[in-house]
Amino acid sequence: MSSNAFRRMCTVFALGAAVAVSSTAAAAEWGTVKGKFVFKGDVKPEKIVPNKDTEYCSKHELVDESVVVGDGGELANVFVYLNPGRGKKLEVHPDVKPADKPLVLDNHGCRFEPHAMTVWTADKFEIRNSDEGIGHNTNASMLFANPKFNEQVTNGAPILKQFTKSESYPSKVACNVHPWMNAYVLIRDNPYMAVSAADGTFEIKNVPAGKHDFAFWHEAKGNLKDLKVGKDKADRKGQLAIDVPAGKTVDLGVIEITPALLGK
Amino acid sequence: MRRRAAGRLIAVVAEATQYIQRHQNNSTIPDRAMKLTSRYSVLFTAATALVALVGCEQAPAPRFHLNPVVMVSNEISPEYQQEVANVLAAMFGTPDAPYALPESGLNQQRLTLAAGAAWSDKQGVDRGLYRKHCVHCHGINGDGRGPTARFLNPYPRDYRQGVFKFKTTFNPAKPTDADLRRVLNNGVPGTSMPSFSLLTESEVDALLEYVKYLSIRGEMETKLAQYVYDELGEAEKEDENGNPVLDEDGNPVMERPPFDPATNPEQGEVVKEILTEVMAPWQEASDQVIVPAEDGIPEDNRTPEEIGESVAKGRELFYGTKANCFTCHGPTGLGDGQQNDYDIWSKEQKAFQDATAQLQESIVSQQKEIARLGREGKETDEEEAKLAADEATLALRQPVAHSFYPIRNAIPRNLRKGVYRGGRRRLDLYCRVSAGIAGTPMPGVGAAAPGAQGTLSDEEIWNVVDYVLNLPYEPASNPQPALPWNSDQIAN
Ligand code: HEC
Ligand code: HEC
Repeated sequence: MSSNAFRRMCTVFALGAAVAVSSTAAAAEWGTVKGKFVFKGDVKPEKIVPNKDTEYCSKHELVDESVVVGDGGELANVFVYLNPGRGKKLEVHPDVKPADKPLVLDNHGCRFEPHAMTVWTADKFEIRNSDEGIGHNTNASMLFANPKFNEQVTNGAPILKQFTKSESYPSKVACNVHPWMNAYVLIRDNPYMAVSAADGTFEIKNVPAGKHDFAFWHEAKGNLKDLKVGKDKADRKGQLAIDVPAGKTVDLGVIEITPALLGK
Repeated sequence: MRRRAAGRLIAVVAEATQYIQRHQNNSTIPDRAMKLTSRYSVLFTAATALVALVGCEQAPAPRFHLNPVVMVSNEISPEYQQEVANVLAAMFGTPDAPYALPESGLNQQRLTLAAGAAWSDKQGVDRGLYRKHCVHCHGINGDGRGPTARFLNPYPRDYRQGVFKFKTTFNPAKPTDADLRRVLNNGVPGTSMPSFSLLTESEVDALLEYVKYLSIRGEMETKLAQYVYDELGEAEKEDENGNPVLDEDGNPVMERPPFDPATNPEQGEVVKEILTEVMAPWQEASDQVIVPAEDGIPEDNRTPEEIGESVAKGRELFYGTKANCFTCHGPTGLGDGQQNDYDIWSKEQKAFQDATAQLQESIVSQQKEIARLGREGKETDEEEAKLAADEATLALRQPVAHSFYPIRNAIPRNLRKGVYRGGRRRLDLYCRVSAGIAGTPMPGVGAAAPGAQGTLSDEEIWNVVDYVLNLPYEPASNPQPALPWNSDQIAN
């Protein structure tokens, strides 16, 4: 390769970097996105029969939490989050502040509480063990951008973590002593994310106005490919471009989730 | 300096891609073969055309193969697979001619000594060390699938996740060179991994460099596939104003942006970033070494009483819920506690198999649903399209799911045998207990990172180490001070 061609390569590379930076435009206005997930099918949560700490854990009538549905089909634990694309940063509304206290993932009643949660990298994250006299470990070896960990957690001595990077997807967290225990934690470097509550609803406030890709994810399937949202359809990655007008709330209404969509 | 490095990377990728394109334009065998191979088999033949450059042996030169689990789970199309293979070839070369990309910090001389076919040069220097000593277990790709692998327990390590067990660093950190050297010198006692203490120092250095090379290459492959899935892929073509381009029937025209960092500077930048992400933990390994507090390290000249006291404290911790060792290692340390879990290598395969089985079940229920809708005289176009897509995915997944060796549980160590895979020095056991064993269910009880607070104090960890070292000599019938109340329910 001639030195000329080599220099050309370098120039091209420098241009590329400049383009990437300028695409983070300033946003001074904000909107809200909300909606509700409803599951169109039957689920019979499977009973879990503990094979460790059986006496204590059996008291808690544990069930498989991979699909949690309310009486009216309300689907909990669906993750919705804004995906600005690789390496792009988003502005944060001045009123949106990290939580005063660490967000808690508790080992409680031989399950994780909550089962699904979001953590902004500005937040602190704490792992507790409230099961008196029961030993738990918390294994996060499915983290990719942040350091993995697998630690013993004992009563009264919580583990404090601070993450620094966005994970692309919710990460599974497990307890190896009680292998039925798992939870999903979505770690992002922006606060634009939510998990649907027990009533199936979610709301993401103070989103920078404009068109953004939102990802829809559920643990039973991962990306909710081809999810129908109103008249639109999420792409093969379970993402949908949503226009968020300034000062407005985009209500996506009832989003129906079929068993096939969750791979059932 | 950094810019020049990036230029070099882009240049290398450009050269390789041009070479491959020339090769294909000539319509030589690889080209025709490419056309003939089915969607699925492309995966396993995703040849790096560069191989032909250096293949001077009679037998076809061994090639790197793409990781089928990574490619299929990320739904990487045959075209993108070829492009990922091209980029990997440009960055890492081939099993016969490995390339130490300057940014990777790998040592070219060592790689060259370790790679290629096994032979001795005129000076009597052994070449091709990896293929001579390691490949029949760890495989050409470092995937732990050499010809002997299937029959071994534990299976030889798949390096491609970049996770190592027996090291002196914190749980998520990479091993140091000294750690890998120790593993090569001592082997892994109690497994088929032999000791290579008879090799010269420079041979061991060459081999550990090659292990790192395969590991970094494997991590790179996974991250590139994730990038292709996340950021590239078939999309609706847009005109200059961002409006969809439509064909004659009014359907959006689709286009596939190629993965070609050589001609696409933005992609070149991303590839460089990913390499930096992969390399950083390797470069930082030596800052992540666990250093027990100087004043906490037990003296060599302890009296039997002092040792006995420490063992007693360690025993209490081992069978208590704070350290919680007994839940996995069992009420008498036989390793018969929680045996239902898996290590990360098995979990990856099990998750893949489970998802495949789930897809198969889903296809059956979709077929039933379509039949039902049909009976009711309803439209089923959409359902049938989804079914067809799922069936195509299943056809890709099944052969991969069936190619795995039987998946085994991660069984906690029987600590009564006194065989320690990661070494029997007290410091080795201190590191195992403090950091846990990366990639396996075994958690750490010490500080998780430099300066962090652990569940057990330094002194308590040394007590546990003393107890573990004493366990093989403790009569199994010895009454436990804290016998788990459910011990009768644990099979022996
Ligand atoms: C007879 C089969 C066999 C051969 C030959 C072999 N290994 Fe291994 N190797 C294994 C097995 C089995 C393990 C897994 C041990 C475990 O997981 O406990 C392993 C593990 C390793 C590890 C991981 C150690 C850790 O800390 O996690 C490295 C590194 C390694 N081998 C390098 C090599 C190199 C380099 C060679 C050639 C010089 C080689 N091995 C030859 C079977 C083999
Ligand atoms: C969640 C289950 C679990 C817990 C809790 C656990 N271990 Fe382990 N342990 C394992 C497994 C699994 C292995 C085997 C790992 C491997 O080599 O693949 C292991 C291996 C070991 C080894 C063998 C190391 C070697 O070099 O061969 C020692 C020693 C050990 N554990 C001690 C302990 C001690 C002490 C505790 C409590 C502080 C403990 N373990 C808690 C699961 C566990």
